[in-house]
Amino acid sequence: MTIFNILIIIIMIIGAIASAYTKNLLAAVIIFMVYSLMMAIVWQQLNAPDLAITEASVGAGITSILFILALRRMRMIKK
Amino acid sequence: MKTSIVKNVVKVILPLIQIFGAYVIIFGHVSPGGGFAGGSIVGSSLILYRLIYGSERADRKFIYFYLLKLVSISLVVYGTLKGLIFILEHLGFNGFIPIGVPGNLLSGGLIMPLNVLIGIVVSITFYFIATLFEEGELENVNGAE
Repeated sequence: MTIFNILIIIIMIIGAIASAYTKNLLAAVIIFMVYSLMMAIVWQQLNAPDLAITEASVGAGITSILFILALRRMRMIKK
Repeated sequence: MKTSIVKNVVKVILPLIQIFGAYVIIFGHVSPGGGFAGGSIVGSSLILYRLIYGSERADRKFIYFYLLKLVSISLVVYGTLKGLIFILEHLGFNGFIPIGVPGNLLSGGLIMPLNVLIGIVVSITFYFIATLFEEGELENVNGAE
């Protein structure tokens, strides 16, 4: 199980760096969503399922929806 | 974003999202979840309805006046119940509210009604935040008429 955890953490590090260096803002939001889902899996591996559900619903759901709504309002992506 | 494929898929999956959110809220004291997580799931389903079917239809279905009244009543009832628990504990009425069998749905005293109230407040607040982000103002401020 430690190989699985190391793989998840490597995906998280790559996602964090990539979402900071991406020029396209919509792609950065989607990479941030992937990072948040991997964070939820890490909480589940650390025996905190309550926090995992909260992270998956708030971090990957509400935060991404608000980012995409802000991009639509700034005319960065077409409707 | 408003093609007929998206509208028909949303018509199918929207009740499933809301049933899952209600399950996470109601079973929050015996399984993972709770008022905040389930309320954010229900709130994201309301935001999805508004994004797909347009703001006029969502304003006709979710009227601002009644939603704000529901949030205020839920907050007042939450504060009253939570204060009642502390006062009863201080005065020595420990077994006043029946606890029930651990593991059942009706157990844990007043935790399940408090979770339901938190879920109502969180879902409607997220819906209002998304409406403010999208349009810059809340519609139908002057009431239902």
